[in-house]
Amino acid sequence: MESIQNKVLKDIRKYKLLEKGDKVLLGLSGGKDSVMLLDILNSLRKRNIIDLVAVTIDEGIHGYREEGVEIAARNAKKLGVEHKIVTFKEYFGRTLDEIISKYTIKEGRRNACTYCGVFRRWILNRVARDEGATKIATGHNLDDETQSIVMNYLEGNIQNLTRIGPKSESLNDKFTIKIKPLREIPEKEIGLYVVARELDVHFAGCPFAIESFRAEVGSFIKELSREHPTIMYSTLRGFDKMKPVLKREFSRKYPIGVCEKCGEPSAASLCKACSFLKDWEDFD
Amino acid sequence: MRIKLIIGENEEIIEISGNKTVKNLLDVINIASETVVVKKNDCIVIDEEPVEDGDSIEVIQVIYGG
Repeated sequence: MESIQNKVLKDIRKYKLLEKGDKVLLGLSGGKDSVMLLDILNSLRKRNIIDLVAVTIDEGIHGYREEGVEIAARNAKKLGVEHKIVTFKEYFGRTLDEIISKYTIKEGRRNACTYCGVFRRWILNRVARDEGATKIATGHNLDDETQSIVMNYLEGNIQNLTRIGPKSESLNDKFTIKIKPLREIPEKEIGLYVVARELDVHFAGCPFAIESFRAEVGSFIKELSREHPTIMYSTLRGFDKMKPVLKREFSRKYPIGVCEKCGEPSAASLCKACSFLKDWEDFD
Repeated sequence: MRIKLIIGENEEIIEISGNKTVKNLLDVINIASETVVVKKNDCIVIDEEPVEDGDSIEVIQVIYGG
């Protein structure tokens, strides 16, 4: 267990993910990845290297999220880490369940993960600024990162590929820097860590995840990994070598603006979250 | 041989035949080994660990679809 923890701390140093004095906002879902990251980041907090605040986003997924929120709160409390719970309802006026049940794909609805991803990013960025956080940490693991690389490659989203990495880079200071300290840790090892450390974890799958392209790609990579156990690591390593070239050739420098409705950074006049909200206003 | 199998809230005594490893057992009960952590008599074990008569085997699913 110590070796996994040391690997994470080594990656934090190697990729300069944290600096002394950083205030880190951790996205804490209560799942194994974020609970493990809480455990490790808390060791840095206790040594007075960083300040830490955890935020749990309640998307409003009935029968799934409630338990995760409770577990997240228990973990933060146990360690004495400041914890905030925020909801889609309070920021966007509707839960994810309401969004999905009110509109159909035929009426132009996207799949649940699209809304969830956009709204969660929006909330994390907003809360980070409100809290004066200098970094946003998320529990993305090696499996997640490999899926992102393969998904974006298969879909031809080369611009998206240029943004995958251990640490976000943005010229816009309204975007708090995002870091992924678990990016090189396989999901299975995270499972081992939390079981061995007897951490209180929400072990459950999101009911909406099944409908995603990510889930399809994830199964395909897991299947390959059975006979080729290092395939995820080599995919990541190969990608990281190519990335500087991709960035040079394909990275688009967006004009830095702000959303005219919410004030969050945006390339267009409305940010993605506000453009979804506007579509719904028109629909209502 | 008889072993105690614990999966989540469910606990049952099952009969299995021959020499089996944890991986063989998971194959028999149709669970993908890459999605679980297994404890034998309360200790985390690897897939190659032999299963013996009277063992308590706990299967903890740590990876969910999606």
